[in-house]
Amino acid sequence: MTYEELVLHAIDVASDLGATYAEARYHKISSSSITSRNGEIIGVSKNLSEGIGVRVLVNGALGFSSTNVLERSHVIEAVERAFKLAKSHAKLMKKPIEFSDVKTGCVRYSALRKKPFDSMSLEDKVSLLSECWETAKNYVKEVKMPVLTTALSESIEEKIVANSDGAFVISHIPRVGFRYSFVLVHPQKGTIQRSFGYRASGGLELLEEWKPVETLANEIKSCETVLCEGVKPPVEEIDVVVGSEIVGLMVHESCGHPSEADRILGREAAQAGKSFIKPDMIGETIGSEWATVIDDPTIPGSNGFYLYDDEGVPARPRFLYKEGKINEFLHNRWTAAVFGVESNAASRSMDFSSEPIIRMANTYLKPGDMNFEELIEDIRKGVYMKSYMEWNIDDERWSQRYVGLEAYLIEDGEITKPLRNPAIELSTKTFYTRIDGADKNLKFYAGVCGKGEPAQGVPVWFGGPNVRLRKIKLRVVS
Amino acid sequence: MNGKDFLLEIAGNLVKKALEEGFDEVAVQVHRKKEVMVKVANSEPSVIQNWTVANVGIYLAKEGRIIIVEQSPAKLEDTEKVFGELKETAKLSPPSPFYAPLPEPQSIEPLEGLVDKRILNTMNDPSDLTEMIINTAFEEDIDYVAGMIDFVYSEKALATSKDVNLYEDATYLEAYLRAFAGKGSGQWAYGSRMLKEERLRKMALEAARLASRAKHPEPGEPGVYDVILSPMVAGNLLNLVAGMSSAFSVLMGTSIFMNKKPGDKVASSIFTLIDDPRKPESAGSTAFDSEGVPTYTKPIIKEGVLKTFLHNSKTAAKMGAKSTGNAGWLWPHPWSLRIPPGEYTLDELIREVERGILVTNNWYTRLQNYVEGVFSTITRDALFLIENGEIVRPIYKLRIADRLPTLLQNIAALSREVYDIKWWEVGIPTRTPYILVKNLHTSTHTA
Repeated sequence: MTYEELVLHAIDVASDLGATYAEARYHKISSSSITSRNGEIIGVSKNLSEGIGVRVLVNGALGFSSTNVLERSHVIEAVERAFKLAKSHAKLMKKPIEFSDVKTGCVRYSALRKKPFDSMSLEDKVSLLSECWETAKNYVKEVKMPVLTTALSESIEEKIVANSDGAFVISHIPRVGFRYSFVLVHPQKGTIQRSFGYRASGGLELLEEWKPVETLANEIKSCETVLCEGVKPPVEEIDVVVGSEIVGLMVHESCGHPSEADRILGREAAQAGKSFIKPDMIGETIGSEWATVIDDPTIPGSNGFYLYDDEGVPARPRFLYKEGKINEFLHNRWTAAVFGVESNAASRSMDFSSEPIIRMANTYLKPGDMNFEELIEDIRKGVYMKSYMEWNIDDERWSQRYVGLEAYLIEDGEITKPLRNPAIELSTKTFYTRIDGADKNLKFYAGVCGKGEPAQGVPVWFGGPNVRLRKIKLRVVS
Repeated sequence: MNGKDFLLEIAGNLVKKALEEGFDEVAVQVHRKKEVMVKVANSEPSVIQNWTVANVGIYLAKEGRIIIVEQSPAKLEDTEKVFGELKETAKLSPPSPFYAPLPEPQSIEPLEGLVDKRILNTMNDPSDLTEMIINTAFEEDIDYVAGMIDFVYSEKALATSKDVNLYEDATYLEAYLRAFAGKGSGQWAYGSRMLKEERLRKMALEAARLASRAKHPEPGEPGVYDVILSPMVAGNLLNLVAGMSSAFSVLMGTSIFMNKKPGDKVASSIFTLIDDPRKPESAGSTAFDSEGVPTYTKPIIKEGVLKTFLHNSKTAAKMGAKSTGNAGWLWPHPWSLRIPPGEYTLDELIREVERGILVTNNWYTRLQNYVEGVFSTITRDALFLIENGEIVRPIYKLRIADRLPTLLQNIAALSREVYDIKWWEVGIPTRTPYILVKNLHTSTHTA
């Protein structure tokens, strides 16, 4: 049996058993990475995850099963186990689960890759990581760099998604990533540490865009300046320009997550938590007119790219907050049925062993039309926070904190001194309400978003422009 | 062929094949597991998941080059197909600075009692046990519950080119429940290789009692407090500290111990942190590591003094130490943590606090700087203000924002009752008491 046939057979078996909904997904991720420490290659890794995941709806209870033995008998067993366990737990259901009606896709698609992974030899990839170290170590002047780690990774994600409502979607997504992490030490000033990574769908052409050696060297230089010359941030109420790297994370955490309809309904209450957004809050004000946050899986070349979700629903941009109002939730077919809307295709799974759940893809704050200089020109005294390390947010996504790594004082419309460890610690509504300007420099950053039980990490982008907040009191990490 | 012989044969054949392909050293670890998990939300099951999955990990060395392979292949027997491609990879990659020969075989004393038949039986249909947990929580005055219960039977077989051939099978159970009441919530967790219904009942009641007591929280002021860390919170923060004792973390610059050495004082003298893989009931117990080295119980920190980093053969060679039986082929890691108890009841700990907080749960512990241990973590669930030795009221969420070295140095007292914790935020099974830490900074949003 081919994998296509196996997936379709699983659905037939589940339907014959009496499942009111059945879904099967062949899911393969092959990946490799090279990791270096201080220019020396620690090791090369090769990973393969391949198998089938099955979901069934039985008497209002949802069952999931997976196996990596891709033989007919094992897949049938997996279906039978999912069916049996769902059926036995149906007695505990107070509100039987239903899925919304939807027009599913029958399609095959791929993310584009201009330069395949084998267009660069392993020796050249190794040389790239060595070059990072050789270049970086010459950039530090007053500090020592005891550790620089770098890693280059490549992966291909292949899926066949089919369900009893007619979906049949075959996809192929290559991705490339580059990460680095360094520690700088000054005998009197202490240490500064930075971790950063690029990741996107596509091929090795991405390395030309990222310019890893140059980017790393520049960051090291900037961090050295912050460590050696950084002064204490102002503690009085001031204007703050939040860099796109931090804006991206903020909208992911404080708009994307609380807009997940499964979280709003309490399905993740014991894990990733609930949401300050309640089911009846569509249309309520959350921020200023600048607060438009979009989650769009269809951005070509993005890390969270897909055209159909794991329930076979066609993807589209979702306007989660729109001009300061709570506008739309992220839905799968279960939450869509509860809310009486159509699924907007947010159902994703990490791998074959993971149930599809509601996830973001590429979440960003809508950019404005100013340039950066215009954004800061009327700030008499303020702070520009460009990058971060420490951050967290509470389990209803209301109280959030981001500690700046590379940060600067703004005086009379100019960037002046570097600052050490200013922290934005705001409620979600304060953040979106105090935005009064955004520049046009939309940038995206790569992440792995965690959710679910067992925890699933899925590739996402988050981004935005640089934004200006008025009258903010910062905290200082000493 | 039984499971043990089948998995050992697969592992052994892969070792043989890799050697035939020209690799100098090989280690193969085959994992196979059966797992059933019931996830609960709004007091009913949200999904019942089960897995039958096998994966193969392979360590290959050729003239000092290291390649690591992780596969969940469609057929275990097909894993050998990767060797041809990897031979080329080995030729082209440079030698690793971490390379050291695999250890010679050593005598392994098996652990008894790793498999609990009650877990195997309950895996077939855990619906009654799930119902019992939900109903138990409703013995308290709560609104609804969420949580999960997970049953696992796992097998691992290890073969190496040094003629190591080892097998171990085990069960484990992980469960946690979060109860909601008014504006309050409470969460508790339990992890063990044994199914003990009474422990699960206790877990459900603890979560529900906390929620019930925290029903009407009031605003709390950030500041410097004496903080009582519940076992949930202590488990989370000490998982982080124990992970930093891995020699690999030290070498990679992600550890507060980067500039420390064994013998240095790193914590309060009343605090001891033990890696305890030989306690059979712990969900992390095992008799041997991924290099076939026997595990043993060891203090990482003893009475405030750093006693050892955690090593595999590679980090040990690099740092002039001996393997501590904690491999990870690259990253040595703790198996199971234990913090010896103190002499206080929880009430007595509270009476020690003039102005402080009792933190029952937390999440999102993140660091600004791993070397200096600058961190914050945000509380979730019941949080209580303590004044003059008494809990005065539940309060809304705060962050603990301080430094891990300060937290370790300021440990002032430990409870005598200990709890076995494992959940989302406590990945390494941990047996810990409540811990009182003096003078920690807390924070919350400014507007």
